[in-house]
Amino acid sequence: MKQGFIRCHDCGNLVKIVDKFSQCPRCDSHLHSRSPYSLQRTAAFLISGILLYIPANVFPIMTVDQFGVGEPHTIMGGIIELIDSNMLPIALLVLVASILVPLFKLIGLSLLLLSVYFRWQINARFWTVMYRIIAFVGRWSMLDIFIISILVDLVNLGGVAQIIAGPAAIAFAAVVILTMFAAKNFDPRLLWDNQQNL
Amino acid sequence: MTFFSFTLLYWFLYFTKLTIKSIGRMFVINDMNSANYGACPECDLLINLAQPIIGDKVHCPRCGFLLAHPRKKSIEHTFSLSIAGLILFFPANLLPMMGIEVMGESTNGVLFSGVMALFNKNMWPVAIIVFLASILFPLVHILLSLLISGHLYFNRSNRYLTCWMRWMQHLDEWVMLEVYMLGIIVACVKLMALAQVEFGWGLYAFIALLIITGMLTSKLDNELFWRRIGQLNKEHNN
Ligand SMILES: [Zn+2]
Ligand SMILES: [Zn+2]
Repeated sequence: MKQGFIRCHDCGNLVKIVDKFSQCPRCDSHLHSRSPYSLQRTAAFLISGILLYIPANVFPIMTVDQFGVGEPHTIMGGIIELIDSNMLPIALLVLVASILVPLFKLIGLSLLLLSVYFRWQINARFWTVMYRIIAFVGRWSMLDIFIISILVDLVNLGGVAQIIAGPAAIAFAAVVILTMFAAKNFDPRLLWDNQQNL
Repeated sequence: MTFFSFTLLYWFLYFTKLTIKSIGRMFVINDMNSANYGACPECDLLINLAQPIIGDKVHCPRCGFLLAHPRKKSIEHTFSLSIAGLILFFPANLLPMMGIEVMGESTNGVLFSGVMALFNKNMWPVAIIVFLASILFPLVHILLSLLISGHLYFNRSNRYLTCWMRWMQHLDEWVMLEVYMLGIIVACVKLMALAQVEFGWGLYAFIALLIITGMLTSKLDNELFWRRIGQLNKEHNN
């Protein structure tokens, strides 16, 4: 950008800056040197994600109904039950995908936002790698949602056994989607803009 | 057992692909006079991408972003893989994937019946997300890559090419077949403790579809595709 070029965010073409509102000659998309309103958008998605993370963990995510007796589970309750029934690897997998990854994403993105906003002198390379990890692992949190959709469909044996999805499933899916949008809207180049000693 | 060995093999291939990093050639430049320059999308460093060798990986010297990874016959492979994917898409969605049997009662499910089960139980926001991530987006992604690579393969220009290409790039992140596969594995292990689990042909088709889409994304060379689209549009306008 300093040298008078803009990289098209869609096709990667380098375009010389002519006037303020120009279009990419190769793909016709509007050119921005940085994603517009990156910080505001990321912050908006992130805050709603953090707020929804609470109901996602407090309310039951599914109810196992056996012979008419319902037994609601929260995300953590489901994991504890898996450990109790000697399925430790699966329990760890679910723990990582549905508790650690969302938490890591929320904290990581907040730190990224704060460091750009307050212009902290940080190791930009390290935090860019951090951003990349956050963007990569995001999709894997959908694991719990897919498991519920499979279980709800298969375990549907009338009065014998039934699995019903709980309200936390909606909140949890929303958290995953919102944090994915937050990560997508964050522009890691802002991290580099703030570094003075490059 | 074959099912598990299949998936294990897939994961193994997937992660070795991620971990192997070969640092290619790169040159940081001071003056610019040719069209070979590119800027890193994550740190905006200007870089000379002087014809990277096929199969090489070029990383950004400042932030380590994978800048280019040109592959052999990207267009041809993408074209044939997307045809295969489109064909496999139908058995993967229509044939029963797996079923359980408890006390004489049995149920079985396909991809779409999971969506419908959620929808019928007042979980329509979740149902929509599952539908998009596991059925609609994979289908649209395969269709778009078929259209684009077909046009490039036969040297046809089309004014929607850039639009399709942009959509395909945005959709890439939302195709979650591999996450769904992991979900199937976890659900199976959970159910095996309670009931007899049976696998159907739909599941094998799904695994094949998963491998095809994995290969598709690894074969697709965005930079090459954009370059070809740019050339085609230029020829068309002249
Ligand atoms: Zn462009
Ligand atoms: Zn870079």
